[in-house]
Amino acid sequence: MNVNGILLLSKCVKQTGKRFLASHAGKQAVLLQQQQKRSFRTQSRQLAYAKDLFMGQVNKKEVFPFPEISNDEVEEISQLVAPVEKFFSEEVDSAKIDREAKIPPETLNGLKELGLFGMQIPEEYGGLGLSNTMYARLAEITALDGSIAVTLAAHQAIGLKGILIAGSEEQKKKYLPKLATGEHVAAFCLTEPGSGSDAASIQTRATLSEDGAHYLINGSKIWISNGGFADIMTVFARTEVEEKGVKKDKITAFIVERAFGGITSGKPEDKLGIRGSNTCEVAFDNVPVPIENVIGEVGGGFKVAMNILNSGRFSMGSSSAGMIKKLIELTSEYAASRKQFNKNLSEFGMIQEKFALMAMNAYVMESMAYLTAGMMDKPGLPDCSVEAAIVKIFSSEGGWICVSEALQVLGGVGYTKNYPFERYVRDCRILPIFEGTNEILRMYISLTGMQYAGKILTGKIKEMKKGNIGLALGMAGQKLRAALGASVDYGLTGKDGVVHPSLATIVDEQLVLKRVADVLINLYAMTAVLSRTSRSISIGLRNHDHEVLLANTFCTEAHFKNNYMLTQLQKHAPENNDANIKKIATQVLNNRAYVCSHPLERTY
Amino acid sequence: MKCARCLFQLQNLRWFGPCSAVARVRLLQPCPLQMQELRHFHHSRAVLKIRPTAPVEFIEDKEKNKKPIVQDDLFERVAKKNKTKATFNRVVDVFTKQDVRRRGHVEFIYAALKKMPEFGVEKDVTVYNKLLDVFPKEVFIPRNFIQTMFNHYPRQQECGVQLLEQMENYGVMPNVETKVLLLQIFGPKGHPMRKYQRLMYWFPKFKHVNPYPVPLQLPEDPVDLAKFSLNRIADDLDAKITVYQMPCTDLNESGQEITFPHIVGIQSPSQIDLLAKHNPKRPVFVEGPFPLWLKKICVYYYILRADPIPPEEKVEEPYDPERCFDYPLQLDLDLDRDLGDEENFDVEDLDEGPVFAMCMTNHGDQATLNQWISGLQETNPILGHIPTLFRLDSGTRELQVSVDFKPGPNQEHQESKPETEERTAEEVEEQPQIRHSMKQ
Repeated sequence: MNVNGILLLSKCVKQTGKRFLASHAGKQAVLLQQQQKRSFRTQSRQLAYAKDLFMGQVNKKEVFPFPEISNDEVEEISQLVAPVEKFFSEEVDSAKIDREAKIPPETLNGLKELGLFGMQIPEEYGGLGLSNTMYARLAEITALDGSIAVTLAAHQAIGLKGILIAGSEEQKKKYLPKLATGEHVAAFCLTEPGSGSDAASIQTRATLSEDGAHYLINGSKIWISNGGFADIMTVFARTEVEEKGVKKDKITAFIVERAFGGITSGKPEDKLGIRGSNTCEVAFDNVPVPIENVIGEVGGGFKVAMNILNSGRFSMGSSSAGMIKKLIELTSEYAASRKQFNKNLSEFGMIQEKFALMAMNAYVMESMAYLTAGMMDKPGLPDCSVEAAIVKIFSSEGGWICVSEALQVLGGVGYTKNYPFERYVRDCRILPIFEGTNEILRMYISLTGMQYAGKILTGKIKEMKKGNIGLALGMAGQKLRAALGASVDYGLTGKDGVVHPSLATIVDEQLVLKRVADVLINLYAMTAVLSRTSRSISIGLRNHDHEVLLANTFCTEAHFKNNYMLTQLQKHAPENNDANIKKIATQVLNNRAYVCSHPLERTY
Repeated sequence: MKCARCLFQLQNLRWFGPCSAVARVRLLQPCPLQMQELRHFHHSRAVLKIRPTAPVEFIEDKEKNKKPIVQDDLFERVAKKNKTKATFNRVVDVFTKQDVRRRGHVEFIYAALKKMPEFGVEKDVTVYNKLLDVFPKEVFIPRNFIQTMFNHYPRQQECGVQLLEQMENYGVMPNVETKVLLLQIFGPKGHPMRKYQRLMYWFPKFKHVNPYPVPLQLPEDPVDLAKFSLNRIADDLDAKITVYQMPCTDLNESGQEITFPHIVGIQSPSQIDLLAKHNPKRPVFVEGPFPLWLKKICVYYYILRADPIPPEEKVEEPYDPERCFDYPLQLDLDLDRDLGDEENFDVEDLDEGPVFAMCMTNHGDQATLNQWISGLQETNPILGHIPTLFRLDSGTRELQVSVDFKPGPNQEHQESKPETEERTAEEVEEQPQIRHSMKQ
């Protein structure tokens, strides 16, 4: 029974891949014309593009046309962007920030005056009230200095997000105005020495005082960005909650002011990159927090944390794109002027390849970031967490590759501190690590998708058992199609359609999940690129032929990658080396060292 | 394995012909007729030309009666008191200088091979080379292809092969010097050279075949030995060794000497966790001694263990959907079983009780082990609340015998000696075990 579900699911992914095969040559029309194999829905309509890809559906309405902003907004954003750009090019000395591991107060004040501390806070609370799209646009510029970008992100992408999305009206009124002006800086305190993603190992505890008016928070949090000077912190702690008569520990979110007392910050960490941002340990010793400072409800901190984390990720796409665009400018100048063998560097194929790669990555990241931001800005309750995770993974990894390739163009010159490239490399290394490591986000993407598709498919099967003939016919049709050669054996079923035992433990098959996530990332990237390019063609944007070129190249490449990964997912695929990889890793890990003997060793 | 080796030897012997080693003759007695024929077939004329003196049987008889005794005498005479490598070498020197013609060198080499373990040089490649050097050089090298085809100087070749075989049995790797000597003595195509080549083919391949090698030199100190053995059993890189008591002797008030046995224990962090979760109502057991063989040494260890948790007490940790901030730890799919679905997958699942710690001591009585348990309580406070039962065997005494048991050098089957020794010891081992289970 469940066999069908999963088989269908994997097939769907494959089919979507095939569809993109048809469209990779930039003929978006093909994609648009594709037969709408819309299965009946068992859930109410939601805005979910990436999740529906797991069902084998392309919700074109969500992604076509590419989201636009109104002319007024364009005007507004250009008015905002100009001074910020000027500020970053004239007043921010990134080399100095990196060297001294501190953002000078005058720079911070400049940022505050520009309103960059309250970008997404509504205007009624004194912020700029920017939409996600406009926020992404500004992130492109702030990303020119990694330390500043991280400081700003820790403040508003996660630090005060809790108040913004789950806080009560009083809390908003009390805290947001000061946070918007930058008078107060926010921080997000979740990670603990023994707990990264594991909520069960959070040790910080909040106990209700005897009079019931305060919670006393005890514990310590590590790696808190802005932890050294933040005045308002979103702190997650364990609280005792009574549920159906049973006492249970649940996570609760609190707004904690430094002024409450009992908070000590440790020494700032000495980091590889983003050295100007402040990261340190924060210890809470009997910090009294009034009961009205609970965000959401008591015991509801888990949802708050998840929502904050999921919503903060999308902007990394535009940040990375902004950074790469800047790098292209810097390196192309060098490549055009440096001569070797009476030829410019820019005439060498291998150098050209690097520039093509950078341009392509920047283009894809931009497209994904603005598509996602646009989806989030649509009215209704958008569910874009999977998309945001996809953007984060793609842009952090693409960013890292591009930055190191840019440095490679300059060779030894790029390796010195005289040029900013080594700083970009160092700053960029944090991207795959923070805001959820890429490994964890890959798990998130594939498991959320499978959960979503699995629920719908099992529901369908139940319907069928109840005797829904239309549904049964539909499924039979699909089976027929599969029998006619469209199906691939993914090794999920045994003889007579018995469910493979590994299906119960799909959560532990991380290498499989990674591939599924990668396929989905590529699919979403292709979608974003196609959507953006088709818009550019239709409204006749300048240089849209170049966009078509980029889109074609990227989609071809991604399509082949996807095909390869789907082949690897097949049963007994010779391309799939997972078993060996696991074996090697186990032997090395059991030994806790490199296993082989030295090549110079002899036995006689 | 032993069997195979015997077969191999038999074949060798047949190949070499009847004038083979003295010691082998008895083995071959069942088929003397066949051998007679073989001999005639194998011997080349050249052999007869060079050594036309006496029939082969005659020499054999003579050797049997006299020569070995004479050679043994030489060893006894020269190295009367201290049997060391130096004296062994001196005996060889004495023999080589005694007679330029090296008369009786085959017998001497056989006698020397037998004496090697006595002198403790059975694992020394230089000594083997020195013995090989006793052979006169270039005399036995075949001069034409017919000689090469047939068994040229079979007795000498057999002796050379026997020497290499003893090296093989003791796991001694021949070196370049061995090769050069063999080339000088028997030429590049002689049987000893072939044997050498086979050795050099297999020995390097098998050198590291054991993933858990025991070092050649085991630590002398019992505490160090216990540390080594415990690390070997535990197979956990995190496991921590604690010496609960160093061995020492002390005088008590009445002037009597008391010896404190050493107590060395090992426990890993995961074992500590396991023990901390143990239900204090269920007892834990101290069991032992269990033997551990390290080459020829047997050491004994004790374990602290519990019975497997009965199924009714097992608590499965319920899935908490609010466990992971980033991704669902479990897929919540409402899967049903269908008619055709198989309900149970056949998985053999045998539940074994957990082992919480191990220790080694040279005095396995309850008092000593109690000391270990109280030492463990420092890291495992829960042990104070758990009833601890001692299930000890009194088998150590018998086992001690097996350690002391050293079979005299078995002359006929030297190669299989280490194995038989181990086997007998293990058999002794098993007896107390059986009794132990019956006691329960």
